[in-house]
Amino acid sequence: MAGQEQSTMQVNIVASDRPVWSGTARSVTIPASEGGMGILPDHEPVLTVIREGTVTVTEAEGTQHAFQVNDGFIAFDSNKLTVAVERGSQVDEGQHE
Amino acid sequence: MGSQLAFKSRIASTASLEKIFNAQEMIASSHISRARKVALDAKPYTDAIFDAVQSLVAHTHITHPIVEKKEDNDRVAVLALTADRGMAGAYTSSIIRETESLLAGLDKSGKQPELYVYGRRGVSYYKYRNRDIAGTWEGNSDQPGVEVAEEISKALLDAYMKPAAKGGVAELYIVFTEFENMVVQKVRVLRMLPVELVHAPKTIHIDSKPITPEEHDKTAPLYAFEPGVDEVLDTILPKYIQSRIHECLLTSAASETASRQNAMHTATDNARNLIDDLTRKLNASRQASITQELTEIIGSADALNKEEE
Repeated sequence: MAGQEQSTMQVNIVASDRPVWSGTARSVTIPASEGGMGILPDHEPVLTVIREGTVTVTEAEGTQHAFQVNDGFIAFDSNKLTVAVERGSQVDEGQHE
Repeated sequence: MGSQLAFKSRIASTASLEKIFNAQEMIASSHISRARKVALDAKPYTDAIFDAVQSLVAHTHITHPIVEKKEDNDRVAVLALTADRGMAGAYTSSIIRETESLLAGLDKSGKQPELYVYGRRGVSYYKYRNRDIAGTWEGNSDQPGVEVAEEISKALLDAYMKPAAKGGVAELYIVFTEFENMVVQKVRVLRMLPVELVHAPKTIHIDSKPITPEEHDKTAPLYAFEPGVDEVLDTILPKYIQSRIHECLLTSAASETASRQNAMHTATDNARNLIDDLTRKLNASRQASITQELTEIIGSADALNKEEE
């Protein structure tokens, strides 16, 4: 996407006892209750239940973060994604794809 | 006038008490910043859940047991949040006083209250008086983790979801201490269940006629619920309860720490005043004994002089 403004979205991952991660991303995959789901910027507003699994966030420069989460939900509206889970932790430090 | 030795030992023991109070005060004030941090850390999650519930309320007619009043059941649950340890002034006793008056009020209106207690002080108060307690939790009342909130909300939701015939309850009240600032903490009673879904300003009231898509656009984004509204409700409402309970636990913990700090501050001041007082009395008694000794010496010297003449 050289020379073109890349669209991104605001991502907040919060666990019940602390915020886990926040930043901007160009794509996020979540373990939705009915199978994996990818979310790109300007997705339609959605509220989805998620189950235990891994949330993967790809930042604008391509850095990937993986987070281990248990059950919770995600809410996406006005280009802001909120992932709210009971417990969550970052699995690895950012890796370049 | 007491003996000097007695004064000295009283001063020594008060001084060591003062050291303990002072240390407790410093411990409490260091805990307060931690309690504040824990509360701040939990806030984003609470906000996320609150927003999600708000958008659910705005978009759907919620029919879920958690928000509906059960008319056919007299049993209600009361959860009192007390401290694990003493030395916190009137913290636990004001909670107990409020709980007792709530229980009495419920009894009077023909309900059957069931008592749940969190915190060792409250548990031992009711156990000592042989009161029926439906459930107790102890430990970490000054820094409650998510695990405790999870345990409590699970037990209470189980009791709430059970049918009346099997001992379910129709309502849940929480008696907790709200942290306003370092000096003011207020005991409050909150009806947690059934949930009263409060509308954020400028959203449509749930009882109004069915909401049309046009109205949706004016208020908040029209959400797609996946896999379905009911499943989303089933997942989010219990989490909402849990996060509300966690909030209560956290504000109570902050209040407990603050009232402990205040109580210990007063105790330290009292100990210092007592030491000053005792020191003054000790000096007076030492002076008195010196004066008496002098009088005796001078008196006997006078007597000897007279004999020589």
